Amino acid sequence: MREERIIKLLKTLGVIFLLVFCLFPFLWMIFISLNKNPDFLSPQIEFVLTFRNYFEVATSNKFHLWDYLMNSLVVSVASAILATFFASLSAYSITRLKFPGRIVIPLLLLGFSMFPQIAIVGYLFGMITDFGWLNSYAALVFPYITLGLPLALWIMLSYFSQLSTELDKAALIDGASRLQILFKIILPLSLPALFSTFILTLIYSFNEFLFALMLTTDYHGRTIPVGIALFEGLHGQIPWGYIMAASVIAVIPVLILIALFQKYIIQGLTEGAVKG
Amino acid sequence: MERSKTNISGETKTAYLFNAPLIITAVIFVLIPVIGTIVTSLMRDVTFLPEKFLVFENYQRLFSDRHFFESLQFTLLFVVVSVSFELIFGLAFALLLNETLPFRGFLRVVILIPWVIPIAISARIWELIYNFNYGIFNYIILQLNISDQPVSWLGSSIGAFAAVVVSDVWKTTPFMAIILLTGLSAINRDLYKQARIDGTNFLQRFFKITLPLLKPVLVVALLFRSIDAIRIFDLIYVLTGGGPGGSTSSLSIYAFNYYVSGDFGYGSAVSVIVFLAAGLLSVLYIKFGKFRETLQ
Repeated sequence: MREERIIKLLKTLGVIFLLVFCLFPFLWMIFISLNKNPDFLSPQIEFVLTFRNYFEVATSNKFHLWDYLMNSLVVSVASAILATFFASLSAYSITRLKFPGRIVIPLLLLGFSMFPQIAIVGYLFGMITDFGWLNSYAALVFPYITLGLPLALWIMLSYFSQLSTELDKAALIDGASRLQILFKIILPLSLPALFSTFILTLIYSFNEFLFALMLTTDYHGRTIPVGIALFEGLHGQIPWGYIMAASVIAVIPVLILIALFQKYIIQGLTEGAVKG
Repeated sequence: MERSKTNISGETKTAYLFNAPLIITAVIFVLIPVIGTIVTSLMRDVTFLPEKFLVFENYQRLFSDRHFFESLQFTLLFVVVSVSFELIFGLAFALLLNETLPFRGFLRVVILIPWVIPIAISARIWELIYNFNYGIFNYIILQLNISDQPVSWLGSSIGAFAAVVVSDVWKTTPFMAIILLTGLSAINRDLYKQARIDGTNFLQRFFKITLPLLKPVLVVALLFRSIDAIRIFDLIYVLTGGGPGGSTSSLSIYAFNYYVSGDFGYGSAVSVIVFLAAGLLSVLYIKFGKFRETLQ
């Protein structure tokens, strides 16, 4: 009985700690974004609540907030769709067809995902410049596909390998092609996995920083993380209120995703990232 | 006989067509750049100077570069300290979320928040929290009389190291917790019931049942996080810029600074070191990760 009580106490303390740990910086961001004087903790500066920061970053065309957000959205949706599509094709062939390379391809891709970005970005910069892609969507979409591919492939692999191959055999006898089987039978049965893959690759691309920093130059191509990181005041003063307001607006899309699709995200992460 | 033969080659052909988009993208945007970086590391590739093949001169320069070793030391120390804390907090959160709790669904959303916020953005939030004059940390320290002077979080090398570790642990603990949680939920609950009947306390159950059964997942999660931590860039770039005085300059930051200053040859050599370190850990990761078994 004593042990029961200790465990109960530990659980309560644990939940409180978890909430403070995870939420404090997040709530602090929201709090400062609603503040007229972000430095109100220093003496003689008063605390004044305001929505002006939001109004300013949303309406002033100096900050390009909507340009950055739009770029982020286009680039991450495009790369997530393509990564999910490429991974589905590959996972189908790996789970259904016999060919040399069946084992090597997914393992090599997994190895690729461990390559540090810094060992890619220097040379990639030269390539993207040669392609004439600098500061365009293409400059980020293609590298971002490779960022999400390993995870996407492994999620689709574990899902497809659970689907019975009897369906394929029946369809083959009816004269369907492999591509038809994938699109008409397998993919409609795999919506949860497709969904996990799409959301996770979307989040990966949305959060990416180093490629976006090197391969874009201004608001025509720059994504929101880089936009906010390089957000500086005009006179050396860091405009914290604006930065935090822009940050709150920037994280709203991903917060909605985790609130609605928590289950898919956790499932995808555990299937795709780590086996044990 | 004849028919089945053409069937097999047809199957192989289909398989390669299905894998072509993935392979082509990965080769152009990952493999070629990495090989390019390795080749560049063997050359003098400096803006405004003619390119020259040097073989190992960049690497010789590395071995006599004090700042490179400082950067290497910082990176390794960061990996060890950061990943250790992540493991402790991640395991604690996983154990907690594995219990029956009220609002468990809500807590699982809350724990994803640090993970989902882009690092560049969370780095700015932390930058404000650590602010010398009006950051909340120094405010609390002064109010509670922990110290009579504000702490120079980002202005001293120890403070900056702590700042980077705290922010990184905050960001990556959720991932660790989620991975370990799956490992925990795979453990058969009957084992605990039986152990309870045998009169064990919860510490004994943790060390005799939970930890040994969780070990495979634990090892893989640790390797995965170490590979990620050894490449750290975004957080440091935004939070400290590698400073003060280069004291938080990770290998990736160190390489990046050479790229920016136009010395691609030397920057590439530093990048190759990061690549080798991550590569070594990756081999272990793929070996321990039982990925082959998924492929049958």
